[in-house]
Amino acid sequence: MTAQEVRLCGLLLREHFGEVVEKVGTHLLRSGAQNLRTIIHETGISLDLVKKSLCVLVQHGACVFSSGRKGPGSPTEYQASSDRILRILRYPRYIYTAKTLYGDTGEIIIEELLQRGHMTMSSNVKTVADRLTQNMEEGRSMDYSEVSSAFSNLVETHFLQRCPPLAGLGTTDASTPATPATPANPTTPSFPDCYKVPHMTLIGRGKRQLSSEDGEEQRNAKKAKLDSDTHGDEGIYWQVNFERFHLHFRDQAIISAVANKLDQTSSEIVRTMLRMSEVTTSPTATCTKPLSANEIFRSLPSSYNIPRPILDQYLTLLVDDPMEFVGKAGESGGGMYVVNLHRALANLARATLESVVQERFGSRSARIFRLLLRKRHLEQKQVEDFAMIPAKEAKDMLYTLLSQNLVQLQEIPKTPDYAPSRTFYLYTVNQLPTARMLLQNCYKTVANLIERRLYETKESKRLLEKSQRIEAILASLQASGAEPEQLTEVEEMITAPEKQQLEALRLHINKLDSAENQVDETIFLLESYVNSTATPAS
Amino acid sequence: MAGRGRGRRTMSFSIDAVGINRGDSLPPSMQQPTPLFPVMEQKPLPLAGGEEAEYLLALKQEFRGAMRSLPCFIQPTAAHRGQSHFHLNCVLCQTLEKKEEQESSEEEEGEEKKKQEEEEAEGEEEYDEEEFEEETDYIMSYFDNGEDFGGDSDDNMDEAIY
Repeated sequence: MTAQEVRLCGLLLREHFGEVVEKVGTHLLRSGAQNLRTIIHETGISLDLVKKSLCVLVQHGACVFSSGRKGPGSPTEYQASSDRILRILRYPRYIYTAKTLYGDTGEIIIEELLQRGHMTMSSNVKTVADRLTQNMEEGRSMDYSEVSSAFSNLVETHFLQRCPPLAGLGTTDASTPATPATPANPTTPSFPDCYKVPHMTLIGRGKRQLSSEDGEEQRNAKKAKLDSDTHGDEGIYWQVNFERFHLHFRDQAIISAVANKLDQTSSEIVRTMLRMSEVTTSPTATCTKPLSANEIFRSLPSSYNIPRPILDQYLTLLVDDPMEFVGKAGESGGGMYVVNLHRALANLARATLESVVQERFGSRSARIFRLLLRKRHLEQKQVEDFAMIPAKEAKDMLYTLLSQNLVQLQEIPKTPDYAPSRTFYLYTVNQLPTARMLLQNCYKTVANLIERRLYETKESKRLLEKSQRIEAILASLQASGAEPEQLTEVEEMITAPEKQQLEALRLHINKLDSAENQVDETIFLLESYVNSTATPAS
Repeated sequence: MAGRGRGRRTMSFSIDAVGINRGDSLPPSMQQPTPLFPVMEQKPLPLAGGEEAEYLLALKQEFRGAMRSLPCFIQPTAAHRGQSHFHLNCVLCQTLEKKEEQESSEEEEGEEKKKQEEEEAEGEEEYDEEEFEEETDYIMSYFDNGEDFGGDSDDNMDEAIY
């Protein structure tokens, strides 16, 4: 974990869980696995608070516990991981995706699960139904079964998965997908290897119809404690399967890249191919299983009524395109085609790097950068010739890129004494290390954005508190039925310049938040690329 | 480190390669720290707007606000025994809560004892401080710095002061 990652994780923990959890979390990130006593001793926080913080971290998957390294009987050790904490940046995207795929119900299910970390299905369904009921008109309410079916849809498509059982000291194994369930009888909670075995039964707790009376009660008793009815699924906790969402994002990125580069029809063809390969492709596969042109033709959506020869032409175009999204794997069945997933990710990352260079240094520097990416190693003279840029400016640009570490210099000596006059100096770009460096820059950027937002909020704290108080007064006055004069009197307690200041503050904070979301998109692309190169080919 | 050649004025880099020619003046010396934000040659692109971006923004801000009101958000003052509304629906945490309640009753007794001890210790400390301040081996006027000297007689300025 780099310093930038730890800093960003600390800020995210602070914003979502408070400063105590931030201290404990960053300490664990920096020091590796530690037991409880050591944590208390080194952070200086009380036992009570450390325990609670560790609870929160474990519940949200940011920390795992395992038996001590000194063998059985040694105290439990806790270890935090930064990847899981960095996911917090992407939560809005997960929630939005669930909305597009499964509607409002799916959206609220994912949102509740992300807020709580782990939840049983029954408590999730209840909470979601309550929330949805509150937004409905008077007298209408949300049926539990509707929420349950949305939940099971999410599980079927692997967007949700079970948490590994807490019995013993098991390490979390978050990469196990959970396959579809048969709506069935409640199972016994003590299901041994449930995180290894893909089968998992959906807990059908008797179809409780949420009548309108119950709906109103639920609405009033918003802060009621969790009722102690058992629904047969105690001990079976669910969590969001981030990897599945990431696969979805990756597919979306590929499809939109094809749409931007070629046209809508090509992107629909690629979308069809990806959809057909969803269940047959493993998450770390280099490319999808080969699909024949006949199969693709049959599976195209009916709205795209293109004749068969045109489809073949489109496929040939896709194969010939330099972005190499689609490859040809054989001739049988009218031509076997695959989507090159890893190469697509590499090309998307490369496009990101080129775009970064272009926006920071101008289009001519970007031309040099692209040239070096294509030609690998070039001497200074060759760079000037190929890029068609005057020597003096080319030298300047190269040196700027070199000082920013986007371009590297490779020395090839002709003689063993490395004399400068007898050595080749070749410029080169290494895509993977450069992508890693930019990824760290992205983490630093987001951390800076968050800090700036916190600073802005702190600067205007007094004003914000005043406006909140006045809003509260207004709300209570309105509820108790006050006259409009009283209301305007209270509203005028905020002066016009203060209102302007508040408006400007709101605008700044929205900009900073929006920027964080956008940088996270870049982070996703670069991370996917870096991770795709790391996995060994199976 | 100052040149190895005896008396000869050589530098570790050749003067032409760096680009300084004869007769050129050195660049102006820096008289203040470098600017806080370096100058950008190109302006950055504007943020992507649109419905999706705004919806994501709203989701993000609502999520943050909602997290603050959940029990997962730990305030430093929440450690007061028996007052934390800390209900996590997590088996791990439920057993932890039970243990906490057991311990908190023990803690109460322990804390009272501690408070008594602390007061005694503080009393002793204060006593020690005063002791050290008053009992020195030197006369306090030893530590005078001479400010009071000569300010007494302002009447007869005719007399010379030796």
